[in-house]
Amino acid sequence: MRLTRLLTFRSIRSRSLRFLLSAFGIVLGVAGLLAIRSTNQAALGSISTLFQNTSGLAKLTVTSSAVDEAGFSEDILSSIQKLDKIKVIDPMVTIRTDLADKERSQELDIGLFGTSDGGLLLHGVVPALEQMTRNYKLVNGRFLSDDLKEREIVLVETYAEDEEIVVGDLIKIITPNGDKELKVVGLIARDGPGQTNNGSFGVIPIQAAQEMFNRSDNLDQIDIVPENSNPSTAELSALRVELQERIGKEYSVTYPSGQGERMTQMLQNYQIGLNFMSGIALFVGAFLIYNAFAMTVIERTREFGVLRTIGMSRSQVMGQVFIEASMLGVIGAGLGVVLGIFLARGLTRLMEVILNQQIDNVLVSSPDIMFSFLLGIGITFLAAGLPAIQAGRISPIEALRVRGKSKEGWIIRYGWIIGILLLGGSVFLLVLNPFPYDVQFRLGSITVFGLFTGATLLIPVTVGVWEIMVRPLMKWIYGASGSLGSRNVRRSRSRTTLTVAALMVGVAMVIMVRGMTESFSGDLKTWINAYLGGDIYVTSTVRLRNDVGNRIQSLDGVAAVTPIRYFNVDWKTPTGETETINFMAMDVTAYTQVTDFVFSGNTVDPQQAIENLKKGQTVFISSVLAEKYGLSLGNTVSLKSRGGYKDFLVVGIVVDFYNQGLVVQGDWETMRRYFNIRDASTFLVKVDEGQSVEQVQGVIDDLYGKRYHLNLISNETIRKSVVTLMDQAFSMFDVMALISIVVGSLGVINTLTMSVIERTQEIGMLRAIGTTRGQIIKMVLAEAALMGVIGGILGLGTGIVLARILFIGMTTMSGYQLTFVLPPEAIGISLVMALVISQIAAIPPAIRAARVRILEAVQYE
Amino acid sequence: MSVLEAKEVRKQYKMGEHLVNALDGVDFQVEKGEFVAIMGPSGSGKSTLLHLLGGLDGPTEGNIILAGQPLARLSERKATLVRRHNVGFVFQFFNLLPTLSAEENILLPVIIDGKDQRKYKERLNSLLELVGLTDRRHHKPDQLSGGEQQRVAIARALVTEPAILLADEPTGNLDSKTGTLIMELLNRSCNELDQTVIVVTHDAKAAAYADRVIFLRDGVIVEELKPPKSMPLAERLRGIMGTMEKLEA
Ligand SMILES: Nc1ncnc2c1ncn2[C@@H]1O[C@H](COP(=O)(O)OP(=O)(O)OP(=O)(O)O)[C@@H](O)[C@H]1O
Ligand SMILES: [Mg+2]
Repeated sequence: MRLTRLLTFRSIRSRSLRFLLSAFGIVLGVAGLLAIRSTNQAALGSISTLFQNTSGLAKLTVTSSAVDEAGFSEDILSSIQKLDKIKVIDPMVTIRTDLADKERSQELDIGLFGTSDGGLLLHGVVPALEQMTRNYKLVNGRFLSDDLKEREIVLVETYAEDEEIVVGDLIKIITPNGDKELKVVGLIARDGPGQTNNGSFGVIPIQAAQEMFNRSDNLDQIDIVPENSNPSTAELSALRVELQERIGKEYSVTYPSGQGERMTQMLQNYQIGLNFMSGIALFVGAFLIYNAFAMTVIERTREFGVLRTIGMSRSQVMGQVFIEASMLGVIGAGLGVVLGIFLARGLTRLMEVILNQQIDNVLVSSPDIMFSFLLGIGITFLAAGLPAIQAGRISPIEALRVRGKSKEGWIIRYGWIIGILLLGGSVFLLVLNPFPYDVQFRLGSITVFGLFTGATLLIPVTVGVWEIMVRPLMKWIYGASGSLGSRNVRRSRSRTTLTVAALMVGVAMVIMVRGMTESFSGDLKTWINAYLGGDIYVTSTVRLRNDVGNRIQSLDGVAAVTPIRYFNVDWKTPTGETETINFMAMDVTAYTQVTDFVFSGNTVDPQQAIENLKKGQTVFISSVLAEKYGLSLGNTVSLKSRGGYKDFLVVGIVVDFYNQGLVVQGDWETMRRYFNIRDASTFLVKVDEGQSVEQVQGVIDDLYGKRYHLNLISNETIRKSVVTLMDQAFSMFDVMALISIVVGSLGVINTLTMSVIERTQEIGMLRAIGTTRGQIIKMVLAEAALMGVIGGILGLGTGIVLARILFIGMTTMSGYQLTFVLPPEAIGISLVMALVISQIAAIPPAIRAARVRILEAVQYE
Repeated sequence: MSVLEAKEVRKQYKMGEHLVNALDGVDFQVEKGEFVAIMGPSGSGKSTLLHLLGGLDGPTEGNIILAGQPLARLSERKATLVRRHNVGFVFQFFNLLPTLSAEENILLPVIIDGKDQRKYKERLNSLLELVGLTDRRHHKPDQLSGGEQQRVAIARALVTEPAILLADEPTGNLDSKTGTLIMELLNRSCNELDQTVIVVTHDAKAAAYADRVIFLRDGVIVEELKPPKSMPLAERLRGIMGTMEKLEA
């Protein structure tokens, strides 16, 4: 055993670079897995706990089912009180406002969940009831007194810090009746209910809120805490039905935790991508290891043969490989865990930016650590297993053979059968797609594995065909040495296969990432440009009255202004369910002056569609909805208006990704008539030709900024930040693709170096009979180029299929219908890339080949 | 006119501290069409000499003139081209490219030179006939026996009609019957194609085919046999054995 260990250490030391490289593979795989896993969990967890925490013990929430956001009368409270099984009935008024003397922000927070303009969210509450519902952690001062009219407020600690507010201060907030003062009596931790609205949150007594904001006897929400603090689903559902029946259809009774679901769902799209990538990271890691061990075994064939002749048993030989594997596994997985913990931090920050949502608990859990650590070791063993078995099979005779033709394993000879089965199976799964709603994307990952492995297994039997097809090209580029080098790829089919597969994975990743980015950003950019049309984007933390738009319109230098209002509306899906979607209303005439509608496809005459939209009781629906529910022009959608469900005629299909594409667009008049909403969320302003945007923005700000609490941002700025956001979101994928390419080139270096070492004598002979160094270099380059071509073509194929898998996964999950655009230049680029990588990676082994010392080579026996 | 001329050739190898005189002043000439065998005990410098003659390495001192061209201090590239055009090598091992057929292996020097292979069709056919592998021309090396492989190697060495064919123990790896076949082949190429051949060998029986036998010891020529053309093989063999015994004593 000591001998075995000694030999293993020697082997590792003499191949330290390769050892490091393959350790790098496992480090990467484990780190990626751990980081992605923990980040996913942290993100999902913090979103769902956010809603759990912020809803406290409330198990049901009553809101108005009207969409006008005008709240409802307090009278309802008495009819709820008649129900038993209820412990607390907690009424609440929610108010969006802001500090009166706050520096108005010049920036818009943009995340995948839409935009948020900051602002301060206030809950008007009955302190006694509210404290029975939610657990406020007071860190300073006291909670609200029981006087419901007292002008006092409790703020979240972090918000107070940011705004430099301390307990005892008087703060001024914006109300419809001018700025009003409130006394800060306490601060709560940013925890539980303190997490509401990302911490920009405060509570005030309910009657004070109603007075200040003209909401007397009016509520927005009633939280219900049942007698049984931990009711079963059935119990809760029964209570919900009972409550709903009692209070009638004007109200809706929902589960508060349900609010988190929408956010969670949005997050899932991104997660599919990441899970997919972490699967690939592991594949790549396993691949590097297999590659390295296979090489080592080839190199040590003689040594193993000698050891076998002197009486070492098969299992002892295999043991040597496994000792090496276990060292590699432990070191690699260990480093991977460390790296993963750091990576998780980084990834979490990235997620926060993308989601515009603070993510807590970046804690990498020890089960996760154990899992990825063991998985890393397991994969190392698995990947090293095949080479180990090969090593065990080495016969003593092989040590004596001067240049024995190495036996080809059954994998090389019969692997194609498995390959075809795997490819067939993957395609089958793809077409069938039995579990479309799997967040973890398990099936998708399996198909990825199946696809890569299947394609890899097909390489050995097809190498000959490839070689004959590409040889003329190699001859054309590299001359006589080109055709000699080309033939060399047939010699060790297993090795060629490994290298080609490495290149294939690299190219496939690039194709996939590029295709995805391209498809996304293509649609996304057109939409963003229309969505953020015009030159200035005007929002406010308080409600905007429509006449603000008219005032801006009348200013010099302003060409057109359109109000835009977003609100949630329930609709009956064609499948009969009720779903909340977003209604975007705009003044159609003004809107077309400021920006354009982006119609999906060429189905309608834009002019006609716009006219139809102005007619009223008509909508444009997003392409996402159209795809998801098979809606088309002339169909109707049933939206819940103030008079109950009404049918709206679909007169256009537009590209709109707002609210994940769950959006319909309608005219301002339609909104007023059917939904009774009159205020605006934003104004889009277009300045006159030749006018400076900055200047007009300044004029608007000077005149109305302060008065209407406007935030003015140039659309240019927003567009830039959206693009930045998109780039950030996609950068993760680019990194993964880059890593795959690096792995691919490591594969090329590895293989060719091995080939050169193995063929030292042959190269010596060639040199002896008059082959120049340049010709030898060209020969190696040609060998690499051929592998590059095969890898490039296969990578292109698998890449396209993979991108489709990913798209299908995303589409079924989200309804995003993305048309897969494979940028035509991507085909060229991927092939050129595979070639260039192969050539660059081939340089070191080629130089090594050119330096072969003829005399030593020909004398060697 | 001599095809090859070695003038006061010395070759020293540095082995750490001390120097090894692998060749210690070797002087001889080889005429066109001559068949020379080099013999000597292990370590006497035979291979070293052959490598210098073929331009695989440069002498420490002295010069070698091959087909009128001095080889000493040639650039690496020039030496390569000299080997390509003027020298044919046959080694004990590693003579063939396993990816190429017998025929392609024979044409390898032509391929490397980037010349039109079709122009060598006749040459190829006659060489295949000479080495008796016409019906094996499309076989890969691993489908050929050791002797057949060496025959391919000889044909390859002859294909460019080099000024000189150098063989280092071409029969060392073969049984004696196959070895004899190879030596006869080299002899025939000498007689029929007027090819100049230099063979390094341990085997007296192999050396008996040569027109001249040079004996090396400790890097110097210690004896030379030049039996008349008419002398039968058995008698030549006896002469060589006798000289070997005499030198060993
Ligand atoms: N690269 C080298 N470095 C140092 N010494 C060398 C080198 N090559 C050869 N020698 C030495 O030069 C001497 C001659 O070697 P050479 O290989 O020419 O002998 P040889 O006659 O061919 O022997 P053999 O019959 O065993 O092949 C030997 O003493 C050998 O050790
Ligand atoms: Mg020798």
